[in-house]
Amino acid sequence: MKALLTTTRIFMKLGWRNLWRHKRRSWVVISSIALGLIMIMFSIGFINSMLRQMLDNNISTKLGHVAIYQKGFFTNMKLETNFLPDERIMPVLSKDRDIVAFSPRVKAMGMLRTSESSRGVLVFGVYPDREIKISKINEYTTKSGGSAYLDSISSNDILVSQSLASKLEVQVGDKIVLMLQDRHNDIVGVGLTAKGFFQTPVEMFDKSVVFMGIERLQQITGLGKNVSEIMIITKDKKLAGSVKKRILAASANPELDILSWEDMAPELVSLIKMIDKQMIIFYAIVFITIIFSIANTLIMSIMERFHEIGVMKSVGTRPLQIFFMVMFEALNLGVVGLAVGLTVAVAIIQIMGHTGVDLSSFMSLLRSWGTGSIIYPFVTLKDILVAVVVVEATTIIAAIYPAVKAARIKPLEALHFI
Amino acid sequence: MALININDLIKDYDGNSQVVRALRGVNLTIERGEFAAIAGPSGSGKTTLLNIIGGLDNPTAGSVRVGEHDLAAMNPRQLSDMRLREIGFVFQAYNLIPVLSAMENVEYILLLQGIEETERRERCARILKEVGLEKEMNRKPKELSGGQQQRVAVARAIVSEPHIVLADEPTANLDQKTGAGLLELMHELNEKKNITFIFSTHDTMVMDRAERLIQLIDGAVVSDAAKHGGFHGAVPGKKKPAKKTARSKK
Repeated sequence: MKALLTTTRIFMKLGWRNLWRHKRRSWVVISSIALGLIMIMFSIGFINSMLRQMLDNNISTKLGHVAIYQKGFFTNMKLETNFLPDERIMPVLSKDRDIVAFSPRVKAMGMLRTSESSRGVLVFGVYPDREIKISKINEYTTKSGGSAYLDSISSNDILVSQSLASKLEVQVGDKIVLMLQDRHNDIVGVGLTAKGFFQTPVEMFDKSVVFMGIERLQQITGLGKNVSEIMIITKDKKLAGSVKKRILAASANPELDILSWEDMAPELVSLIKMIDKQMIIFYAIVFITIIFSIANTLIMSIMERFHEIGVMKSVGTRPLQIFFMVMFEALNLGVVGLAVGLTVAVAIIQIMGHTGVDLSSFMSLLRSWGTGSIIYPFVTLKDILVAVVVVEATTIIAAIYPAVKAARIKPLEALHFI
Repeated sequence: MALININDLIKDYDGNSQVVRALRGVNLTIERGEFAAIAGPSGSGKTTLLNIIGGLDNPTAGSVRVGEHDLAAMNPRQLSDMRLREIGFVFQAYNLIPVLSAMENVEYILLLQGIEETERRERCARILKEVGLEKEMNRKPKELSGGQQQRVAVARAIVSEPHIVLADEPTANLDQKTGAGLLELMHELNEKKNITFIFSTHDTMVMDRAERLIQLIDGAVVSDAAKHGGFHGAVPGKKKPAKKTARSKK
């Protein structure tokens, strides 16, 4: 075993030194590996950030990490599908160590009308003070020009998005009529005052959602103390699954649906999975080109050393040892390429992750995807590990043919080859 | 028992349209400790003979025994192992590994043999001192002169104390003085360590220094002479007192 390690060490040493016999050529290959890696890491960094923002924006506006509904509400959103947040539920939520905040909401479909226009909307009845802890709607509300966040659960104030306000031609303080069906399916109308405007990064949300005090909406709709949902924020979105299970076990109410964000946004989960798979294809395209570059360089290097390898075999070097020498050469190319590529990519991504990349010029496109206009790229340890494995696997695959070719060199032929 | 025993050795090469016979029924016995030269003009078959003895080439017919080994019965792995442990090679063009220092080039053989580090280093340093390169041991081949490189090649060939050193035109790329020095060195090693040296050469200096001169022409041994103190005109078959000397069988 010790002898094997000793011989392995000499072939590793030979592999390393052979790499630097033609520095320029090796650097060309290393640069191609590094460049490919930088491209991929940047793409991953941007996609990671966009997906995270997309997800976080959805969670922080409408989904939450976990939500409790009366069975059937999530799929058809009917007002009459509601429940009373009673003592079977609320203490469970208060005691759970992984729950940071929770707040009941009423959701009702309605229509906003002004003298200029009308728009169909989804009205969120919220506790303004509790809503601050579970969503970012307060942060997204403009605090200038008279626009302000809600401050009462029972007033006739309403928050609308800037885009909706502009379509309805509403200013702060203007009256808006909200029409909706109450729990008895009667059409009711109520005059509300535009308290403030908000703008979230999610265009679809802004087009269709408005906020008002929960108690006032309960009065209008005749829900009493009943609510449509309880939105829950956990310490981390990864904890959503376990929190959901605990609530499910503790509530013991078969009439309730307890859903994690993954249950509520299956399209986002599918998108993340699809992008993960697309990255594999992207990796493959970039690294297939690198395979040829490495293989070509190694073949050239071996042909130049044809005689030398013949001499090595003449003095007793085994074919397998020659094979490993070439493999080590390729591995070293990969390691240096990785070191250069990862150092540059991670350093730049770290800087960009702090400063952010302003993509305001693509704002409308980004808003339609539900991401912010400033992207903060980041890569995870898993991304780095995958890059290490992919690059080293690529170099190993690229080196197999040249290494076999080198191992098969016949010493006598090589000795005659000058 | 002879160290090398060659019987009716024939070697044919496939030329473009015809078979070229490089060796025609060579019979030869070489004893341990000989300092022998195989001489002949270009194309006479001397390098082919050396390659076959070294297990680098296969005979078309006939048998070759090196020590205990019948080369025809050995597979490539066994031949490689034999070359590693029992035969040292010195080539015309030095053929050192350019990325390794003189010390590492010599050490390479011992590494392949799995010798442990302390012994390896000690043996390499001693051998390099013997060949007069103790100050150059950390230099790469390109930093050494041709003569120094060939001395490293000799050190590499003998460091594992093989039975045989096969030297193919070892002085061909060296000037007269350096070549003579190298021959003197190999002769000293031959006497001191009882290593068998077999040269292929058409250098008269090597032929003069050899204690046995085997002449090949057109693939056949035409003369085989053992000498005292080297030089032409020695009586064929006369033995050196301290060593066994073999003759060709025919």
